[in-house]
Amino acid sequence: MADRVIVTLTLNGERRAFEVAPGRRLLDLIREDAGLTGSKEGCGAGECGSCTVLLDGSPVTSCLVLAASADGHEIVTVEGLGGGGSLHPFQEALASHGGVQCGFCTPGLAVTGAALIARGRGGAHENARRLAGNLCRCTGYVKVLDALRAAEDEVDRVSR
Amino acid sequence: MDVPVSEVIRPATVADAVALLASRTDARPIAGGTDLMVQLRDGRRSAALLVDLGGLGLDGIRRTDAGFEVGALTSMDRLAADPAIAAHFPALAEAAGTVGAWPIQCRATLGGNLANASPAADTAPALLVADASFTLVSPSRTRRVAAADFFRGPGRSALEPGELLVSVALPLGPTVGGARTVERFVKVGPRREQVISVVSLAARAVVRADGTLELLRVALGSVAPTPVRARRAEAVVAGRRPDAPARRAAVRELQRDIAPIDDVRAPAAYRRIVAAVLLDRFLEDVDRG
Repeated sequence: MADRVIVTLTLNGERRAFEVAPGRRLLDLIREDAGLTGSKEGCGAGECGSCTVLLDGSPVTSCLVLAASADGHEIVTVEGLGGGGSLHPFQEALASHGGVQCGFCTPGLAVTGAALIARGRGGAHENARRLAGNLCRCTGYVKVLDALRAAEDEVDRVSR
Repeated sequence: MDVPVSEVIRPATVADAVALLASRTDARPIAGGTDLMVQLRDGRRSAALLVDLGGLGLDGIRRTDAGFEVGALTSMDRLAADPAIAAHFPALAEAAGTVGAWPIQCRATLGGNLANASPAADTAPALLVADASFTLVSPSRTRRVAAADFFRGPGRSALEPGELLVSVALPLGPTVGGARTVERFVKVGPRREQVISVVSLAARAVVRADGTLELLRVALGSVAPTPVRARRAEAVVAGRRPDAPARRAAVRELQRDIAPIDDVRAPAAYRRIVAAVLLDRFLEDVDRG
């Protein structure tokens, strides 16, 4: 059967090595091998965005990334968004604005939103477009977008 | 769940990659993986060996004497965000920004979008309109294939077994004194975001000061077995002002350029109407100035 491959990557700021099957998905490495279960598997086909993580700073659906392809790259999951055990401003804002219901889509939304904030402030239409790959089936996006706007304001305020 | 493959190799050179791909019939290249990973998972495609193209240095956009060269591993996100691409090839930038959703665009590559040879590939009509050509490398030769000759049928392209698409050349057209260029990509689907095209249209018009067309290129997706240039429609308005009679003629000729089918996303008759509307609107906007 398959040889195993060594995948060395930076996961939430920490250099880690994993020995995995060649067909391992990044999502499974994160959830099962690294034990970080914040990232969720919804559709497994890149459509729902629940498994979104940052790869070298850009949001990607980790169910479509071959773990071996992530070798040498930097991964940040929802657990590492804030850095140092604190929450990212968008995570704080999701909580304070009630932008969470069942929570399944939330880790992916938090990751995409954080990436969006890192790219610089977008307008309301731009923000909605960028979050269109993170599906929420509980409620809607109004509070999520409100939270994103509040987080953008907070990041602007702190960096000023 | 793991995808069913037994080996993955990340070669460091294009020569090593094509040697591997040519030596084994059960090998497949993988770039962003946004299509292939789903196909492997669902058993619609299989591979024993995945040749990971991520170590070849094929990503990036480079200025050349003739225009631009885009590496096959360049992500849709990078294409959509590149100021030079937006300035010179706005249809391509727009198309790249509509492939899936943002997390897909950050992973999906230009080469993957093309090598899949989907009739619905968003970047294909834009590249047809740009008169792009693709560089294909195999162990024995390197060749250039025009975008217009690359697509052969649904899932079929000019790529031979063991051959790899490594870059896309985008030529800058000659500048015509006093003329203005209008270029556009539009995509119609059942919803606004994260959608596979029911019809897509890319078009470029170079308009002389008197309102007549110096150049017109129109290409469409999802209306034929391959992305297609609308050469009959182009010809009927060539050199003219795209006024209402010219537009009617173009839209009529367009129906012979395309050959849509009924499928799960839309009936053929609807695609014909949408294609006509998209072309008519483009030409009307061109005429309005």
